[in-house]
Amino acid sequence: MTGTDYAVLLLRLAAPLQSWGGPSRYNRRETRPQPTKSGVLGLLAAAEGRDRAASIADLVGLRLGVRVDQPGSLLRDYHTYSDYRGVPLLSAKTNAKGQQTRTTPAKYTGVTQRFYLQDAVFVVALRGPKPLVAGLEKAVRHPVHPLSLGRRSCPPTGPVSLGLRPDTGLEEALKEVPWKAGEHRRRQVRDATVSLEATVEDPAGDHLAVDVPDTYDLKTGTTFGRRAVRHLWVTVPTGHAEPPQSAQDTGPTGQSGHDPFALLGW
Amino acid sequence: MNQPHLFVEVHILQSLPPSNVNRDDSGTPKQAVFGGARRARVSSQAWKRATRTEYARQVPEADRATRTKRIATLLTERLARSADKGGAGLAAEQADRLATALLEPLGIAKSAKKDDQSAYLLFFGKKQLDDLVAALDGRAAELAALPADELKAEVKKLPVVQTLSTGHPAEVALFGRMVADLPALNVDASVQVAHALSTHAVRTEFDYFTAVDDEKAEDHGAEMIGTVEFNSSTLYRYAVLGVHQLRDNLSDAAETRDTAVRFVEAFARSMPTGHQNSFAHRTLPHLVLLTVRTDQPVNLVSAYEEPVTGTTGLAEQSAVQLAEELKKVGETWGNKPLRTLATYTAEKDKVTDAFGPSLSFPALLDALGALVGDWLDGGEAAVAGDGGEAAVAGDGAEAGAR
Repeated sequence: MTGTDYAVLLLRLAAPLQSWGGPSRYNRRETRPQPTKSGVLGLLAAAEGRDRAASIADLVGLRLGVRVDQPGSLLRDYHTYSDYRGVPLLSAKTNAKGQQTRTTPAKYTGVTQRFYLQDAVFVVALRGPKPLVAGLEKAVRHPVHPLSLGRRSCPPTGPVSLGLRPDTGLEEALKEVPWKAGEHRRRQVRDATVSLEATVEDPAGDHLAVDVPDTYDLKTGTTFGRRAVRHLWVTVPTGHAEPPQSAQDTGPTGQSGHDPFALLGW
Repeated sequence: MNQPHLFVEVHILQSLPPSNVNRDDSGTPKQAVFGGARRARVSSQAWKRATRTEYARQVPEADRATRTKRIATLLTERLARSADKGGAGLAAEQADRLATALLEPLGIAKSAKKDDQSAYLLFFGKKQLDDLVAALDGRAAELAALPADELKAEVKKLPVVQTLSTGHPAEVALFGRMVADLPALNVDASVQVAHALSTHAVRTEFDYFTAVDDEKAEDHGAEMIGTVEFNSSTLYRYAVLGVHQLRDNLSDAAETRDTAVRFVEAFARSMPTGHQNSFAHRTLPHLVLLTVRTDQPVNLVSAYEEPVTGTTGLAEQSAVQLAEELKKVGETWGNKPLRTLATYTAEKDKVTDAFGPSLSFPALLDALGALVGDWLDGGEAAVAGDGGEAAVAGDGAEAGAR
């Protein structure tokens, strides 16, 4: 599948808050620990200014790789909503006409839990036909709709596009990109290299991710398809000189040379 | 028009005294970790609501959107109005019949209990109903006289859904609308608002309080005790307005210009009201920076990834770091805004270099209005002008004199 007619688009997804929901419904809006294919393709489609009803078949064909440069942590956001006229909220029940009835006993305030990833940085690689990814790269730099990382209230910080690379495998592409973590994270790591978790789309992969959208059309709603992925670790230079003698003792946040998960091979 | 997109970004620095404007289920002010440090946070939803309420206060009643169940009544009334007043001059009964037929394709069933009401609220502009009457093209009487089947067929040919899905009122055009069972009426918001974060690390403080009973003279114990949590913060607030999206939603250039200006004013002046009576936290921003661009909007919160520290006030240092970040993003990535307009108090060379001279807030809004108007008329070239501070200052002075 390698050839000159393919290319890899590299993106940096960083913001104080991100939220990659996948098929998350109702009053509990979760986030996955990594950007989902649905979320990333949605960002690209919005950048191009595609209609919600427009076909996304070409985008779905892109192969996605994600590298976790800074994993961040989970934030739970408590969110209430109510009807501004002070009338009871609608219930899940419908009447004979299919219209929602009001809650009885009357319920005036609804609560939703929204989950975010805070303080995370990801590098995303998308491999596909060159004209398509080149067009997407341009769209990301001159988007029609403002970009957001999974949820509208999560605009990215810094430029999103890291440019195009000539065709390589996703794993190779993710190995080439310098470490994009923030200053405070860099300070925690003293080694000359750091191991970063990554997930790449691979038909031979041994894991399934259920995050492939069929459409963003609100009329029909999105149903999510599956794709095979493979987890791996990517080692990149930190930019630090050779580690000091005490590097073995940097503790749990320090990412010293000791990595128990490496034994598991993912 | 040679450039299809125009983004107006609003960057605001605002200091809040001890306060708790937006709290979670345990009463703690909302927080987030950024750059490894705990920050105060005000959710985008909370500030959008405050902006919406503030916006509604600025707009004359007639131009406001209306959220009503009585769309059928309003439409009937218009159809019955005499032709010289913009109506169709129908008899009451015919007007009612036609209005019902017109709204049928929308799937707006009449409420079972109250005949004149639709089953749920619809958020739309009063002007949209006028457009609907205009779309009848003088055939109202003819249509109303048709038998039921033919009327239904004729109404199908009329652009009812199109009319109600274009020419939206400003609030819908700004903040969007989602009608689950009428997707044709959905509107994509033209405004994106980020969660506000403090530029510095924040620790939640606990205020222990007691309440005494005025009428209880015999003993002096407290009648109740509790704690209120609070923090004080200098917030970085960020919003992007897609002027092109707003224009598409409103389909009117003059209204787009006015709405853009009013939005910026409402966003800058608004304040969530949580615990307002306990803390009286109504402050105004000490910096409002507008960056106008046709490329990727950039959230400058990265200026504070390294938290601001200091013992003599954080506002000024926050402004300096914002100026540095704007410069850095422009130089490293080539993401220079087309124009910057700013209102600020921190008179520092670095800040002035990056943002241009400080305009009074009304002058800033006038300059923004002129700029958006120019873009709507002539595209990017008109906005870019000769660039530089002279053009910015010129605009401000000119606008101020008007």
